[in-house]
Amino acid sequence: MALVGNIQDFGLSDFLYLVDRGYKTGCLHLNRENEMAILFFEKGKLTYAALCHDEKLTDFLVQAEKLTPEQAGALTQAYERSGRNLPMTQVLLKEDLLPQEELQRTLQTHVEEEVVYSLFGWPEGAFRFEHGQKPEFESPILPTPLSIENLIMEGVRRIDEWGRIRDRIPSTDLVARFVDQPGEKAKGVKLAPEEWRVFARINGKDTMASIAKNTNLSEFDVCRIMYGFATAGLVDIIKKPTAAQLAQGAQDQPKLRRSLVSRIINRIQTM
Amino acid sequence: MQTVKMVISGAVNSGKTEFIKTISEIEVVSTERRATDDTKAIKKETTVAMDFGRIAIGNDLVLHLFGTPGQKRFDFMWEILSEGMLGLVILVDSTRPETFRETNRIIDFFISYRDTPYVVAANKQDRPNAWSPDELRLALRQPPRIKVIPCVATDRESVKSVLLELLYVILDRSSEG
Ligand SMILES: Nc1nc2c(ncn2[C@@H]2O[C@H](COP(=O)(O)OP(=O)(O)OP(=O)(O)O)[C@@H](O)[C@H]2O)c(=O)[nH]1
Ligand SMILES: [Mg+2]
Repeated sequence: MALVGNIQDFGLSDFLYLVDRGYKTGCLHLNRENEMAILFFEKGKLTYAALCHDEKLTDFLVQAEKLTPEQAGALTQAYERSGRNLPMTQVLLKEDLLPQEELQRTLQTHVEEEVVYSLFGWPEGAFRFEHGQKPEFESPILPTPLSIENLIMEGVRRIDEWGRIRDRIPSTDLVARFVDQPGEKAKGVKLAPEEWRVFARINGKDTMASIAKNTNLSEFDVCRIMYGFATAGLVDIIKKPTAAQLAQGAQDQPKLRRSLVSRIINRIQTM
Repeated sequence: MQTVKMVISGAVNSGKTEFIKTISEIEVVSTERRATDDTKAIKKETTVAMDFGRIAIGNDLVLHLFGTPGQKRFDFMWEILSEGMLGLVILVDSTRPETFRETNRIIDFFISYRDTPYVVAANKQDRPNAWSPDELRLALRQPPRIKVIPCVATDRESVKSVLLELLYVILDRSSEG
């Protein structure tokens, strides 16, 4: 079943988080006015993205001057010989037409700079995620799929207005704390120096405003960076509870006897 | 007579009225009227004050279900409804991702200062484009310990199972005796 919505209401970074944590495989289709984009994921990682439907690896590499037209022809022949049952990227590596690192770097730069990051600038756009849909074998599929957290962090670096950020951080009196189990995820995230400065001050107590003061960053920058951490699933944004509120919360909570709860359960079971 | 209270909340149109209607044993005192403000575009009828349902547990005990009003201008009711509640069901219209952020704000409202037991009901699972409970958990960023339960609010067995899941959470936390 396809997941549908609009990135105006359910942001691209929220969707990428879902793909990542859900280890999703499939294709995200985005459309607005006369623009479109497709992003393919394999077990939560990005394998390929484009702003059109029929991009071919051979055309792309010739245009990028990584292959001569003759080499591209040789690649097409090798691909035909292989029975078209392997992604063309794999055939290219087998045939040793380009070193893997160079291929990765070329495709990754293209996918990140020209496709994914530009999508973070879309104010709206209909999306549709088709579970299980895979890219055409002839597409410029990345030899090593990209992890999503870094895409999210990079996308968030390009945010330059409060709108999106306020959804998650409506006030600078809020506090960030580390999520209970960020697990493996936290390891692969690459932070810029000023992001580290903010990261180091996350303690579940200091507000955005006080972190801004202590780091000499603007409140906007601190909130933007925290928004990135929160979107990548590293931190939770919480209110700063006062001692009085904590005490009152404890009183509010009626502690019911087990026997009473069991009676309610029995009643509902037999309804 | 002892009464205990559960709150059924969720964004506009998530199915709160339907949920309570399906399980309550008395005619629900819900006040439906033609929507006037922000909800007008979505539906003809909306809950104006609140929904109320009742399930008698025995001669000395009754369970009250309170549904929060959908419209923003009745937000002040929430504070009152949430006082002393035993637990909370958060309904989500699984077919409308545009309501997920609002759903998160509702969860935050109820649980930020009190550690109220709650479950998320992924409602309208009978609709073809419903997001699955697993997808909703990620979309709403609910930790693994919070149950996200498939739900069809018009189906009695389904509503029962949501209430029971919530009661098991409450049971785990209740005191001996
Ligand atoms: N298919 C389907 N429709 C449902 C389900 N639950 C509710 N609906 C429909 O969704 C619409 C909204 O349901 P309500 O119960 O009025 O929602 P509400 O949360 O009380 O709405 P407000 O009071 O306006 O906030 C109605 O048309 C219901 O019949 C469900 O599980 N499946
Ligand atoms: Mg209603």
